[in-house]
Amino acid sequence: MKNKSKNISAKLMEAAPVAGLVILLGIFLAIAAAKNVNIPYSFKNIVNQSIITMIVATGAIYIYTLGAFDISLGASMCVSALVGAMAYNATQSVVVMLLVCVGCAVLISLTSSVLASVFNLPVFVTTIAMLSLLNALSLVLIRVNGTGDVIQVPAMAVMKLNTVWFKLLVMAAFTALCVLTFNYMKLGRQQKFTGGNPLCAKLSGLNAKKLSIIGFMMAGLGVGLGAFLTITYAPTLSRNTASSVGMDVIISIVFGGMPVSGGARSKIHAAIVGALSMTLLSQIMLMLNLDSGISQMIKAVIFLAVVYVSMFSSRKTILPR
Amino acid sequence: MPDIVEIKNMSKRFGPTVALDDVSLSACSGEVLGLIGENGSGKSTATSIYAGMQKCDEGTMLFKGQPWNPLSMNDALAKGVGMIVQENGTVPGISAAENIFLGETAEFTNGLFVNRKKMIEKAQNALDRIGADHINAALPAGALDFQDRKLVEIARVMEKNPDVLVVDETTTALSQKGRDIIYRIMEEMKNAGKTVIFISHDLDEIMNRCDRLTVLRDGKIIRTFNSDEFEEGAIKAAMIGRELSGSYYRDDYEEETESETVLTAEHLNLTDQLIDFSMEVRKGEILGIGGLSHCGMHTLGKVLFAAEKAESGTIKVHDHTYENEAAAMKEGIGYVAKDRDTESLVLEASIKDNIAIAGLDRIAVKKHFIFRKNENRYVDEQVASLSIKCNDSSQYVSTLSGGNKQKVAFGKWMGRDSQILILDCPTRGVDIGVKQSMYQLMYRMKQEGKSIILISEEMAELIGMSDRLLIMKDGRLQKELKRSRELSEADVIEYMI
Repeated sequence: MKNKSKNISAKLMEAAPVAGLVILLGIFLAIAAAKNVNIPYSFKNIVNQSIITMIVATGAIYIYTLGAFDISLGASMCVSALVGAMAYNATQSVVVMLLVCVGCAVLISLTSSVLASVFNLPVFVTTIAMLSLLNALSLVLIRVNGTGDVIQVPAMAVMKLNTVWFKLLVMAAFTALCVLTFNYMKLGRQQKFTGGNPLCAKLSGLNAKKLSIIGFMMAGLGVGLGAFLTITYAPTLSRNTASSVGMDVIISIVFGGMPVSGGARSKIHAAIVGALSMTLLSQIMLMLNLDSGISQMIKAVIFLAVVYVSMFSSRKTILPR
Repeated sequence: MPDIVEIKNMSKRFGPTVALDDVSLSACSGEVLGLIGENGSGKSTATSIYAGMQKCDEGTMLFKGQPWNPLSMNDALAKGVGMIVQENGTVPGISAAENIFLGETAEFTNGLFVNRKKMIEKAQNALDRIGADHINAALPAGALDFQDRKLVEIARVMEKNPDVLVVDETTTALSQKGRDIIYRIMEEMKNAGKTVIFISHDLDEIMNRCDRLTVLRDGKIIRTFNSDEFEEGAIKAAMIGRELSGSYYRDDYEEETESETVLTAEHLNLTDQLIDFSMEVRKGEILGIGGLSHCGMHTLGKVLFAAEKAESGTIKVHDHTYENEAAAMKEGIGYVAKDRDTESLVLEASIKDNIAIAGLDRIAVKKHFIFRKNENRYVDEQVASLSIKCNDSSQYVSTLSGGNKQKVAFGKWMGRDSQILILDCPTRGVDIGVKQSMYQLMYRMKQEGKSIILISEEMAELIGMSDRLLIMKDGRLQKELKRSRELSEADVIEYMI
């Protein structure tokens, strides 16, 4: 019975992020109705604002599940988008641009994880080094190949792809791939187990280095798709492109109920739930005409509360013996 | 003698479960009170409440006749009640010295800076005083083995010179040397008119060391035995509520094992842990490996599973060599580690996750795809055959009792039908009921033609279960003993020391 009640409370904790999203949606609709806001247009905005974060965060779940952390996702996306734009300008092919964006992001991710494996460093450390390197690289790329401080792709070339339906299609395809590999393949089970206890995973025959490399590849794929969609949404790229993505991804994943320590409780849908919740929260505060400083503070408080609650509930399940 | 510890009508619930139901007990000065009961009977809950780890829902506590409500374990220890917990109670990332003076580094500060030298000196003295002088107080706790970490914990408690010491199933993690340290501390405390509450599953040990023995079952006090009433059968019956039927260990002595050799290790060397060590394991054999804790037997288990690499020598299964754990598993080897909670299980994962992980290649459809139905069937078979007490297989392992956790660790390898199972201290910290079922399971596996390498610090277990017994000393094979009715612990000890 004791265990049953613990399981029920664990299940309630798991459902909390989705419940939070539903509540936020309710608040949003109520305020929108009261203020006569165009709801379909607002939803379109929400999708536009959150979809790139959703895709990148969904890929990043593979890294977080292992208990690792990548601080260079935004910089990686910026460089991938710049290289993708250069590829388009050289070939006039959107397909080539897509492939280059994805290839470049996967290559950057692989470099981080392979460096960590070769030098036996925590992945976090290599991603810090990659962050500096990628920031420098984006400056060099713009200086050598750009016009002024930007690299541009003709807006006409990508305009047709800048639709909500296309973005939803890309996200659905990527999410389906992630759900399949994470929930219905050995890979996901092995990732979660390794994140939960790397030593036990090793003694269960799992290869943490191989899993880390695959995890980073999946994250790279998400970053590459995010870079491609960034070009279609804003074809003028600068060094500040995707600068907030890294932080948005972290916040979304935590908002979505993903444990910061990774492991068995990791879930793919956390990224989508978290990104949508975060965007809805921003929209609500915008509709309430809150000062941007106050909005940031509210977000920070909610972020801390979510982390505290998730860690507190985890501690409670461990302590009594 | 006046009562030092008094617990009156204590109740504790976790959700709807009653962990302690109106428990009253007392221990007086100069007494060693034993607490015994099956896993989950409430022994640790009652003592951990007294030692400040958690709060009770109802009841009162007295310490030296005064109301007793410690705010935390540190508070209790500062006021005279210390507890050594069953599992790991040290922080791995800091030194042994910092563990001993955890939360008290201010005592060693000169202005802004901590005088590490002074702290290490004082910690080393604390270790030396309990007889653990082989531990370097400056080393990180994570670099010490399980036994030495336990000794660091004991030094931390004893440094405060407590009036009451709770020893919670600690001895099962220790070699004879470690046990002797605890026994000496208990004896010294008793002679000094202090109180010890001693929790153990080892009936011989608890009968030898305690003045009185209280049996708990399902959160209730069943009976308290005075030393002149100690009788093994009566205590066991009180513990499990029935007479234990069947043999505890296997009772065959004539049965010959098959001659087919399944695993061969030749001339293994690894620092001072393995020195020119050779052995072979036969089909359907239970091969016992015994010795003092640091004799190299635990390292041998890891080397045989390829979790550690020998510097030289070869290991073959049916003439195949293997390089890593995954390859060992493909050769049909399974490994249950000594340090269950950190090496054998992911505590914050479900029973299903833990059992299925080693058998994913067996569950997977087309090598990679996992369907819930297949996975559930695979796991449920193990849960049923091992009688794991749980609501369902999605329950977190951290919520299980020690014995059931160990069954999950077994289930991981049983599920994939491992033909050679390396068990390192498989019955550590489990009660006699679970122990018996594990021995029966080992015997059943033997009869199915599976081979078991049983590494243990419990001589009775080794003698009772092994077909052959290899005794190790200082990394070397000291003696091979055959199964026999006449084999006694004294015969075995002779080669260990």
